[in-house]
Amino acid sequence: MSINTEEMILNMGPQHPSTHGVFRLKLHVNGETITKAEPVMGYLHRGSEKLAEGFIYTQFIPYTDRLDYMNAMTNNYIYCAGVEKLLDWEIPERAEYLRIITMELNRIASHQLWWGTYLLDIGALSPFLYALRDRETVLDRLNEISGARMTFNYMRIGGVKWDAPDGWIEKVKESVKVLRENIAEYDELVTGNEIFQARTMNVGTLTKEQVINWGLSGPIARGSGVDIDIRKTEPYSIYDRFDFEVPVETKGDAYARYKVRIAELHQSLNIIEQACEQIPAEGDIIHKKGARIMMIKPPAAEAYTRAEASKGEIGVYVVSNGKTKPYRVKLRRPSFVNVSILQDMLVGESIQNVVAIFGSLDVVLGEVDA
Amino acid sequence: MFRLLKGFGITLNYFRKRKVTIQYPEEKVAMPERFRGIHRFFPDKCIVCDLCVKVCPTDVITLTGKKSEENPKKKIIDTYNIDFQGCILCDFCTEVCPTDAIVMTARFENLSSYNRSTHFKDMEWLTNNHAYGYYEESEAGPEAGSRGEVK
Ligand code: SF4
Ligand code: SF4
Repeated sequence: MSINTEEMILNMGPQHPSTHGVFRLKLHVNGETITKAEPVMGYLHRGSEKLAEGFIYTQFIPYTDRLDYMNAMTNNYIYCAGVEKLLDWEIPERAEYLRIITMELNRIASHQLWWGTYLLDIGALSPFLYALRDRETVLDRLNEISGARMTFNYMRIGGVKWDAPDGWIEKVKESVKVLRENIAEYDELVTGNEIFQARTMNVGTLTKEQVINWGLSGPIARGSGVDIDIRKTEPYSIYDRFDFEVPVETKGDAYARYKVRIAELHQSLNIIEQACEQIPAEGDIIHKKGARIMMIKPPAAEAYTRAEASKGEIGVYVVSNGKTKPYRVKLRRPSFVNVSILQDMLVGESIQNVVAIFGSLDVVLGEVDA
Repeated sequence: MFRLLKGFGITLNYFRKRKVTIQYPEEKVAMPERFRGIHRFFPDKCIVCDLCVKVCPTDVITLTGKKSEENPKKKIIDTYNIDFQGCILCDFCTEVCPTDAIVMTARFENLSSYNRSTHFKDMEWLTNNHAYGYYEESEAGPEAGSRGEVK
């Protein structure tokens, strides 16, 4: 006997808890199978790029915090690096190290939160509590150095705002030890869990071609066997001084992406440890002209810089016309690019898997809509 | 099945470990010295240079100065307001202030209210916000702690 089914449109969102923001997915479903998916975005649009045109260069830094608010340090960094490229400034050693330490700490916080919320989305409550507990360790360190827990506004054009407080580097070293243990616990708790594996293995598989054609980046690309990490392929800041690996998985499913992120946590800890060893005991933290934030005036030129954020490749294109305000700032937000794959990868999947797939992409809506 | 039980083992272990939760609001987390909380203003230090107004990305600071009575060449502050509806606690005002007349305190709470207009804080409120450590009800500024009128 065959049952006649009719195609139906199902709206997921804009207020769906699994999106952790405001995002709408318009799903065309036939029975339980998705025949077409349309991501609808823009609910959180704040016009960040346009706002930048009205600000002097430094004033835009706190706004980059609010793009990917889980990983604000890298956003801060990439905008500053873009302007520094226009100015052609040399950044003091110590500032570079502080930047690396804070960026990597932030990457850990971002992945930890993803880990917790992803498992929450697919039905496990307790990992969320573990993740938030450990993320607190990281946020405390970042709070001590920058004075805020999420919207750091710590980088400045030409360096960083504050030097590390007394004993901060030692505290970071301690935290690395604590985090190592805690992250090892994640593996015990979840990675081998049969229910979790059944839920994520062979779900939302992305092929290498898809990744390349859609321009995806970050752990999503690396989970599908595309070995690209800007920290390695095009080292910015001083990443070429550290010894770390780029974890790559070939299967391309949600489980592979999960494993990449967990492995990245360990690599970030390695980088922090090395940076804490190598950091010069003292020195300038900002370029001599950088401290006068009202006077920054790059020559008329344009520059594109990119970096590896926790979600993928983040890029900033800055055009200057020689005045104190940028003529144009274009932001390449990894989540925005990554979320577009949904329309391709959801077709043929069943409704039950939507949340597991969407969560595995790790998009932050503040960044999707900018 | 084995791995599942192993996971439970970890959870069970936590029964003998230290608690990490904090009973907010009875207990409070100590924020570090640099914490960018709600501002405090020192009228005597201010030289009315207008830098904080210029640097504020959200244009929430308004101020006026007047001539000092003792020294007509010097200006002193007359009114100073921050509209906390728009303030993003970015710290630029503190960063540019040459005399540290505007600083940020460790206070992060008791700013919410039922009324938009109560977010507009004047010089008196900002001066009385002496909350470097913890904010106590008795130290409250003129409007703090009150619920505001619901219109
Ligand atoms: S903290 Fe930032 S937004 Fe708030 S008043 Fe100061 S400069 Fe303006
Ligand atoms: S920057 Fe400082 S001294 Fe200048 S007007 Fe503002 S508060 Fe007063």
